[in-house]
Amino acid sequence: MRIPCPFCGNRDTQEFVYRGDASPTRPDTDEAMHDYVYLRDNVAGPMREHWYHAQGCRNWIVVTRDTRTHEIISAEFPR
Amino acid sequence: MAEPFTITEHTNLALATIMARKGVDPAAIEAALADTQLIPTGPGTWLAVSYCDPPPYPGEGRGPVPTPDLDPGLRRDTLKDLASVSDQSGGYIVYRFSGPAARTLLQRGAFIDLHPSVFGPGSSAVTVIAHIGVILWQADDDTSFDVALFRSFAGSFRHWVEASANAHDRHPDESRDPWDPQV
Amino acid sequence: MSRLPTGGLIDRTKPLAFSFDGKRYTGFAGDTLASALLANDIRLVARSFKYHRPRGILTAGSEEPNALVTIGRGAHAEPNTRATTLPLFDGLEASSQNRWPSLDHDLLSINGILSPLFVAGFYYKTFMWPAALWEKLYEPLIRRAAGLGALSMEPDPAEYDADHGFCDLLVVGAGPAGLAAALAAGRAGQRVLLVDEDVRPGGRLLAERHEIDGNSALDWVDATIAELASLPNVRILSRTILFGAYDGGTYGAVENGRRLWKIVARRAILATGAIERPLVFAGNDIPGVMTASAVQAYATRWGVAPGKRIAIFTTSDSGLKVAADLAAIGIEPVTVIDARDGMLVTRAIGGKALKAIELSDGRRIAVDTLAMAGGWNPSVGLGCNLGARPNWSEAIGAYLLDSPPGGMIMAGAAAGAFGLGAAIASGIEAAGGGMPVPATSEDPSGSRPLWHVPHSRGKAFVDYQHDVTDKDVALAAREGFTSVEHMKRYTTLGMATDQGKTGQVNGNALLAIATGKTMSEAGTILSRPPYLPVSIGVLAGHHRGEHFKPVRHTSGHAWALENGATFVDTGQWKRAQWFARPGERDWLETVSREVTATRTGVGICDVSTLGKIDVHGPDASTLLDRLYVNIFSTLPVGRARYGLMLREDGFVMDDGTTTRFAEDRFYVTTTTVNAARIMQHIDFARQVLWPELDVQATSVTEQWATYAIAGPRSRALLAKLLPDLDLSNEALPYMGAMEFHWQGVTARIFRLSFSGEMAFELAVPAHHGDRLIRALFEAGRVLGVAPYGTEALGVMRIEKGHPAGNELNGQTTATDLGMGRMLSRKKDFIGRVMAARPALVNPARPTLVGIHPVDPARRLRAGGHLLAKGAAPVAANDQGHVTSVCYSPTLGHWIGLALLANGPARHGERIIVHDPIRDGDTEVEVVNPVFVDPEGVRVRG
Repeated sequence: MRIPCPFCGNRDTQEFVYRGDASPTRPDTDEAMHDYVYLRDNVAGPMREHWYHAQGCRNWIVVTRDTRTHEIISAEFPR
Repeated sequence: MAEPFTITEHTNLALATIMARKGVDPAAIEAALADTQLIPTGPGTWLAVSYCDPPPYPGEGRGPVPTPDLDPGLRRDTLKDLASVSDQSGGYIVYRFSGPAARTLLQRGAFIDLHPSVFGPGSSAVTVIAHIGVILWQADDDTSFDVALFRSFAGSFRHWVEASANAHDRHPDESRDPWDPQV
Repeated sequence: MSRLPTGGLIDRTKPLAFSFDGKRYTGFAGDTLASALLANDIRLVARSFKYHRPRGILTAGSEEPNALVTIGRGAHAEPNTRATTLPLFDGLEASSQNRWPSLDHDLLSINGILSPLFVAGFYYKTFMWPAALWEKLYEPLIRRAAGLGALSMEPDPAEYDADHGFCDLLVVGAGPAGLAAALAAGRAGQRVLLVDEDVRPGGRLLAERHEIDGNSALDWVDATIAELASLPNVRILSRTILFGAYDGGTYGAVENGRRLWKIVARRAILATGAIERPLVFAGNDIPGVMTASAVQAYATRWGVAPGKRIAIFTTSDSGLKVAADLAAIGIEPVTVIDARDGMLVTRAIGGKALKAIELSDGRRIAVDTLAMAGGWNPSVGLGCNLGARPNWSEAIGAYLLDSPPGGMIMAGAAAGAFGLGAAIASGIEAAGGGMPVPATSEDPSGSRPLWHVPHSRGKAFVDYQHDVTDKDVALAAREGFTSVEHMKRYTTLGMATDQGKTGQVNGNALLAIATGKTMSEAGTILSRPPYLPVSIGVLAGHHRGEHFKPVRHTSGHAWALENGATFVDTGQWKRAQWFARPGERDWLETVSREVTATRTGVGICDVSTLGKIDVHGPDASTLLDRLYVNIFSTLPVGRARYGLMLREDGFVMDDGTTTRFAEDRFYVTTTTVNAARIMQHIDFARQVLWPELDVQATSVTEQWATYAIAGPRSRALLAKLLPDLDLSNEALPYMGAMEFHWQGVTARIFRLSFSGEMAFELAVPAHHGDRLIRALFEAGRVLGVAPYGTEALGVMRIEKGHPAGNELNGQTTATDLGMGRMLSRKKDFIGRVMAARPALVNPARPTLVGIHPVDPARRLRAGGHLLAKGAAPVAANDQGHVTSVCYSPTLGHWIGLALLANGPARHGERIIVHDPIRDGDTEVEVVNPVFVDPEGVRVRG
């Protein structure tokens, strides 16, 4: 699989480290922390994911990828 | 290999990682370091490469140091408030690959397109060869490339060079050692 | 000899000597092993997998299910090599497989007599009782009685390598469609990679007689190849198997069995041709029964008459073309049986060789070769690797991939364009046109599938390689395995090394008939990579043995090697484990000496492998406050502080010391094995969690060679090395740090101690590391300095009760490790909320304690579980486990660290370490984990 790093261009997955769902945001309240740490949707379809370009520019990117077809729809730096 | 290539280790480089501070225009950093080669390694990040004359260190192994290192404090002062600077003169070992077969050899290791139509003078990339992270860039001329990697990987990297260089031309009567260091 | 006097794409001026099962024969350059065997009248080449039936060569291509041989000897032996695609070379030694004592007289053919027992799925129903005998007797017997080739069991001596290819267009297959496509795209200036598995391009044009533009098709092939070779933007890889299609336009290929190619193509044309179907009737596996295209290829390409009396049994126009091509070179078929006229072959007769065929009208005809033309299956497998499914086309009687994945397009016979003109046109169109379609000779391609010959008595094979018959497919259907996926696994049809290339479609059709479905309803299985077998060695390349993964050496490595170090792997690093001296009995003696030398004098350890990260910028201290459990924004310049980092779920992730060199410059250290993980974590925090902070971070692990100098004489040693540096307690207090110059080089000194002794860490840029370690040992010589390795380092930290990797195991909290008080209450940090969960602060959790054996002579081992005295060794009574142990020369007995339920409240208690696997049970006393100098006096010297 190839990931279009916004800085480096298309690169093979071996250069990246996968983290997981990019949708959850670190909450301001203590009460919401448990869900932030443990609960995830199991998405069948386009999903935003965090990948780290460990063997490239060493930036975290948000990749939108269809988990059914592996088609990569977009890849951008987190804002 | 059928066509020649050589590898030499750069021994007179001062290196640093430069990372732009928030809101700083990269052009300001490039202007401040106009006499330094800046290899882009990420957004707002560069490997700064300076050639010291005379060489501060004669190469791997032992020996006295004739002159001081390029003082990282100097660079830090130059870039005050513009960027963070980390000396990497010891961290990376940098090899120069030269010759008509240099590009071919590097292509065997790197899973990025090194065809001259897309990778030419001024091009650079941070990628991986044989599970070793590398920063590679083309020198000014058409047949030379510089490859920087973390120093601890030097032995494993040389093993990849030998294995790949010998790959296409295995003749029992030719034991060519592609590792031909020149000072 | 069956070699024809003239003809064939072989070089009769270059004879080659080879052997098969020990007997010597001759062939020619251009032969395959199969064509050379046939030329030498060898028709029996194998015994089948299960029934040990005599088998001959069925095909002329890589779809061959029968003619598998082992080539080479000893470590060079390669089993399961297809004789049909192996280029003959001088000195080739080949032997048949799966037979004993010989191919001709195989005693295991007894399996044939027992065959009613060995139907599909037999091992689910037989040999089940008694259960104990399955593993010891039945399974080994079954394995020995069935099989293909055998491995040499010696290390693979071959050398493998790799390369990478990038192109605008990847063309898979250099038959007429592929060549035309490559040429059209090449002329249009695209970067083209043409990959073909044969030794030379041309595909079926090498084996069939056609005309292109009025000349022999071979002329067109030669001219096309010559033009392609002249184009700098086109590269041809022959003898290259494109084995898989992967996401993102990535493809894998193996060139010449030795070179792994990873290819990225913007677009790919799969001009992969089609494979001829055998027909299913009794005796269709007798040596001499072949596919019609194979008969044609051996005659045309290799100048070999496969037999003297050849009959053709066809359902297709291509079978008639074979008859015509044979006649053109003087081989008149004895008879042509066209199923479309209603005539069928109901049985082939013979044992080790075909003798005769029986027809549906009752006639028996003596023949030695039967050419089956059962129709064509487009090779769509590669296009299905990403999950696209082929659909049945009633019009052409085959599966077609009408919706290949984006970026892939089928061409030629692979797209159902069987006729030569149509194939070439299809290739040109797939490449974007721009080239006229040449005139070609007539090549009719009509056919009508015949899935099964009725009233055929005897074994009719569907999957030759796995000995699956038509009755096995019917049995699967009767037993409820009615989907093609279940039929495959239950009968093993399609699961051999040929992956069903000649059998899958026939099997699907028989299943459809048995279950009353149409071919469309029955569907087919999806092909998965690799298309043909790929050796593990080629996937490894040069990453084998000690080069399996990169090895990292510190700059002190050469010095350590010279001084007798024994090394240990820590992640990718080689670290000196100990430095044995002559006369020392074992490592324990060596390590104990190193510990004692350090605690009583001075020792030096290379600690360069620890992770080091520069965290710089105006908001660096803010970021560190959010990552560490304790506060770093208050750290003065020139000071270091020990810190603990948690994961967001509240468990300890890593520890290390962080030093502040300036208001906006911090130097963070990590454990060796977590260096990369922490770098990622810091980058995640500053790029994703808090991008509003102005902070930069980069790894400097490799920049600094770092040595620990520890012991009561450490300051004296450094005073000798650095006479101009003020090392007094005032100038450099415990946990202080400063930068200075050493012989013109930037250096740093830290007063840190992992050993619990007065200690320093000295760091210089790594390219001066070798110089420094030598200078340190020179300076320390009169002081009796001794190098120490990771084992002695480990002993000393256990003596001091410092948690390390064994305790930081991802399941422990700060409180578990006795560091609960470090958790700041004044700020938020990663893991703060979850670490406060009641279950994670429950004192009943296993918590850090020290232990030592009640009997001082007893040895301790890590891993044993802790029980109260008298408690039964069951899980419910488990109170924790021993995490680290060592022999303490300082105390004169073994000690350990352990995680014990309610540990700190139980000092003085005696408990049991339960270790049924090794030493048995040991009684220990629970103590303070800081065994040596609990007040911490020595570090502050």
